[in-house]
Amino acid sequence: MDNNYVIEMLNITKEFPGIIANDDITLQLKKGEIHALLGENGAGKSTLMSVLFGLYQAEKGIIKKDGQVVEIKNPNDANALGIGMVHQHFKLVEIFSVLDNIILGKEPCKAGFINRKEAREKVVKLSEKYGLNIDPDALIENVSVGMQQRVEILKMLYRDNEILIFDEPTAVLTPQEINELMDIMRGFAKEGKSILFITHKLNEIMAVSDRCTVLRKGKCIGTVETKKTNVRALSRMMVGREVQLQVKKGEAHPGERVLSIENLTVPSKIHKNNAVKKVNLNVHKGEIVCVAGIEGNGQTEFVLALTGLEKPSEGRILFKDIDITKASIRERSKIGMSHIPEDRHKYGLILDYTLQENLILQRYWQPQFQNHGFIKNNEVTKYAEKLIKQYDIRSGQGPTTMARSMSGGNQQKAIVAREIDKDPDLLVAVQPTRGLDVGAIEYIHKQLVAERDNGKAVLLVSLELEEVMSVSDRMYVMYEGEIVGEFNSKDITVEELGLYMAGAKRQGETANEK
Amino acid sequence: MTNILLILQFTILYGTVLSLVAFGGMFSEHSGIINIALEGIMVIGAIAGAVVLALCQRAVDAATMSAGTVQFLTFMQANPGFIVVLSILAAALAGGVYSLLLAFASINLKADQTIGGTALNLLAVALAIVIAKSINMTYLTNSANPQVRYVNSAFKIQILENPRFEISWFFIIALIALIAAYIGLYKTRFGLRLMSCGEHPQAADSVGINVYKFRYIGVLISGILGGIGGLAYVVPSVSTWNFEQGVTGFGFLALGVMIFGQWKPLRIFGAAMFFGLFRAIANMSDTLFPTLVMNGFTTNIFNMLPFIASMIILALTSKSSRAPKAEGIPYDKGLR
Amino acid sequence: MKNNFWKVLGGWFKKTAQNIGRWFKSLFVSMDDKEPKLRTLMNSPKTLSFVSSIICIIGGLLVGYLIIILIDAKNATSIFGSILKGGFANPYGAGYGLGNQLAYTAPLIMVGLSVLFAYKTGMFNIGVAGQYTLGAFGALYCAIVLNAPWYVCILAAMLLGAVWGAIPGLFKALFQVNEVITCIMFNWIGLYMVNDLMSSKITFTRVINDNLTISSMFNRGGANTWSLATVNKSSLLPDWGLGELFSGSSMSPSKVSIAIIIAIVIAVVIQILLNKTTFGYELRACGKNKNASKYAGINDKSNIILSMTIAGALAGIGAALLFLTDIQQFPKSTTSLSSLAFNGIPVAFMASLNPIGSIFAAFFVAHISEGAGLLTGTTFSKEMANVFTGIIIYFCAFAPLVIEQLSKRKNRLEMQMLEEADNAKPKEEDGKEVNL
Repeated sequence: MDNNYVIEMLNITKEFPGIIANDDITLQLKKGEIHALLGENGAGKSTLMSVLFGLYQAEKGIIKKDGQVVEIKNPNDANALGIGMVHQHFKLVEIFSVLDNIILGKEPCKAGFINRKEAREKVVKLSEKYGLNIDPDALIENVSVGMQQRVEILKMLYRDNEILIFDEPTAVLTPQEINELMDIMRGFAKEGKSILFITHKLNEIMAVSDRCTVLRKGKCIGTVETKKTNVRALSRMMVGREVQLQVKKGEAHPGERVLSIENLTVPSKIHKNNAVKKVNLNVHKGEIVCVAGIEGNGQTEFVLALTGLEKPSEGRILFKDIDITKASIRERSKIGMSHIPEDRHKYGLILDYTLQENLILQRYWQPQFQNHGFIKNNEVTKYAEKLIKQYDIRSGQGPTTMARSMSGGNQQKAIVAREIDKDPDLLVAVQPTRGLDVGAIEYIHKQLVAERDNGKAVLLVSLELEEVMSVSDRMYVMYEGEIVGEFNSKDITVEELGLYMAGAKRQGETANEK
Repeated sequence: MTNILLILQFTILYGTVLSLVAFGGMFSEHSGIINIALEGIMVIGAIAGAVVLALCQRAVDAATMSAGTVQFLTFMQANPGFIVVLSILAAALAGGVYSLLLAFASINLKADQTIGGTALNLLAVALAIVIAKSINMTYLTNSANPQVRYVNSAFKIQILENPRFEISWFFIIALIALIAAYIGLYKTRFGLRLMSCGEHPQAADSVGINVYKFRYIGVLISGILGGIGGLAYVVPSVSTWNFEQGVTGFGFLALGVMIFGQWKPLRIFGAAMFFGLFRAIANMSDTLFPTLVMNGFTTNIFNMLPFIASMIILALTSKSSRAPKAEGIPYDKGLR
Repeated sequence: MKNNFWKVLGGWFKKTAQNIGRWFKSLFVSMDDKEPKLRTLMNSPKTLSFVSSIICIIGGLLVGYLIIILIDAKNATSIFGSILKGGFANPYGAGYGLGNQLAYTAPLIMVGLSVLFAYKTGMFNIGVAGQYTLGAFGALYCAIVLNAPWYVCILAAMLLGAVWGAIPGLFKALFQVNEVITCIMFNWIGLYMVNDLMSSKITFTRVINDNLTISSMFNRGGANTWSLATVNKSSLLPDWGLGELFSGSSMSPSKVSIAIIIAIVIAVVIQILLNKTTFGYELRACGKNKNASKYAGINDKSNIILSMTIAGALAGIGAALLFLTDIQQFPKSTTSLSSLAFNGIPVAFMASLNPIGSIFAAFFVAHISEGAGLLTGTTFSKEMANVFTGIIIYFCAFAPLVIEQLSKRKNRLEMQMLEEADNAKPKEEDGKEVNL
């Protein structure tokens, strides 16, 4: 057994109800190396690291530290072994100072009174040693995201962690801050600390890591030495070569323009940059346009602004040549926009309403369903039964089932049924097939193509490469809030697409290949 | 001059009550539990303290009482200071125990904190009346009276003789509480960890802090201070208190004080005194503003003023009001 | 011809029998791809909430009983028994007692509706007491000062209550101030304002008859408002013979009136409003999921204001339904908020927030209040009922959640099985295969 591995995760299997998140994965971390963990959404990277940090327990497999088998039941155990983690969503108290956040839980004390002087000295020393620039007295709510991340890193160093896990660390950083972070990581590695970092950004992997393990759909595809590979190879490992789904569709016959988005800019709720930066996009009748990209690159905010749930700070939205940038949600619905939302429990359904009450959520005020303010229950039930039959929505008691007790897949079918049956001119669908079985996925895709063939416009936002490639006619790739490429689906390969999605390539530039 | 002294005296009296209770609410909310039950906790503390007070001041009757009781009562009545201490302890203990009901429901059972708090308010007033009546019946007046009578002179400290000016021991307690709250929250490890539980319990949990334990402590402190505050409202001002009126909304007023004080000890103290001033003016409105009173500014209108002022300030400052971020949301360790 | 008739009749019987048989079968067995009806009933949220209410009530009664034992063990059982007997144990006869109990049930239904209506739309209306006080003022002013008939008095009460309910709604919608604290503040503002108006600001002179001219809302003793029977009989709620029906051994009618009928009718109206209209659909949606309501284009700000206004109106009507029966008079310069109004909270939660349920919950609260009020010993009296209701709502704060958790655990396993079944087999439709 090669024993310069500081951490070994051997044959880890972690299951959740209905899904195997980690399937017999082996990951070995050498002392002093920077090891990247690469994969698409749902590949299992975060789950694997959560197992290492003690947030979850694996069903099968063992973890070894320095050759010894260890049990990590909670973050305290992980900490005791010297393992620290910087989460994607920071765990910082906004109104505390930087210093207080770093020492929380491990405050130097004299008879219960915090010795802030001693704490400050230690923290300042650490920050100078590793070049982590912070202001100990600033409040977290006033500090940049880059500094917040440095605070999280200092939390780990203050506790003498030697094994540092970073979960998508560059997701919220500016390019400047990303370079600084990479220098910091190199410094750690030189000192003998070992780093694991989760990412989907190929450039960064090439720039800073020593080795890289690739996961796909819960399985480990392999571990490679960064020096001996390039972005294309990594992309291929990440997405695989074959496209499993084939959607039967004919040629698209795009007609007049239905949606035109100009310079749309939407601020972010979690960091000071904009989530969507001056995006231009259009959709015509009779075509399926997809916005492709990895989760967290601005698609959510883009859709919220388009459908009226959020306000953009700049830009215009023209729908059938009418400016709807400031229109209310009901108005957008009335003039022909439908929205299948990303978060079905937050926006798409009222879980404590029945299935039929949910199916009329967008139409309860129409004459078909109400008479002088009184809901026509019979009509609603009839309508619900029609949709249930048409879309094969399964539930315990038919139209009067509580939405909460339906399975996720059937909840999604209900939403899809409702939105498509509205007969919209523009159907905005975000991750419409998430959580559905193969049969349902194919049915939904068929519906989308049918809408398109009926002369409707479809805007699909998807994180699944296969779906993007096989369903859409045209696509835009969104990376860090900007459109980095626009293609006809026939003109691009999966590997190329992966490069654009991971930020390794932009239209108009050559790829950052090594 | 006497008027100014009287206003000052009343201001301090009411301000003391409001600070004590608001400090209690502050600790609870800093740990993450919204405590609407302050009104009820005050009532329970008041009845406990008042009953102990009245019982200790009973006429000693060697014929009907046991030797031990006679000895105890004679000793107590000869040393009124002890009676003061005992009744305050009783109020604190009662308030603390009562608050545990809220703590258990909110922390372990993840109950809705507003409903739980309201339930405890309703229960407390009714319970206090029943206790008052039964104690009166059995030990004191031999009639089921909801009013408790006592001598409150031992609670007062005379500062000036002529003109008369006095403060109560509760004011001293409030000052001590202020200092303790300030140091406790900002200078100790306890305070830092407590506040983290109300701001970001997941962060606290991830560094090994026991969120449940700190929330229990926060609510317990609010129970103790609220209980003392209840006694502070009832005892110093009058020598009889009718428990059918509860604490006339002072517990809720303390919530308003806590919000204006933005959950910070010094500001809460200031806000409490400010409101105390309003109440003092209301009490003395006929001597202070006889012309106004004649023209229709009755006591009732003066009584409304603190509440109206609260609403105006709340409306203006709500956008910048910064409550502990995670308060009111039950913490579930399972959902990381 | 005759043969045909019997044939048709026979066929009809057979069909009905078959349908009844089918219905019965569907209770226990899965039919038409739907699960057995009994199982749905057991799992349905309505059943769960009904069961949890009953558990809360029983639990509350038991703990209250324990408290009585702690204070007066000797008489505990008879005291508890008295409370449980309610108005039926009235010394003037069960009919009389029941009549007065119904007189209190009506306002309790209204305040219960007030709290539950607001809660269904996402707000905790602890301001029910202030709205009630304003309503009382409206009704009494019209009755005593304006000599108005009862329906005008109810209208005034409703309007003033509505205004007082709108205020917290406005504060929340426009300034984002939490409605709980606004309601609490305005409870006290309302109380002092009404006190002030009634005791010092309202001056009038009205001749009642040769012997009586009044110039104040308060009676000669000065402690309470005038009895309406004395100053304005037209303001008393008519009783349509109910008073005679529920009368006592002394043959004097109890204070029951059409109030109880009005309250029940309004409860039914609220039930229809919440569950059968588009307005109710929008309100409930806002209460259950603000985000999804926004997504559906529902305007949550105006709904907040509207629902609090309605809640206030309901509380105001409640006050009218009490004071216009003359069963109580309004005390002068009171320093405590109406305890009856606050009992709207227990009524609402005991009824599991169901308008029809609130009729029964209100009756229960009135029942134990009457029972406590009739206690002949002196230590325990009417506030004992509040001890019980306080404990019951304490249980209501968490019992539904606990029961829901327990049933969720059972449901999760069932749902898992449902999902696996879903994914396993395709569904055959009219012989055609669904694409797979």
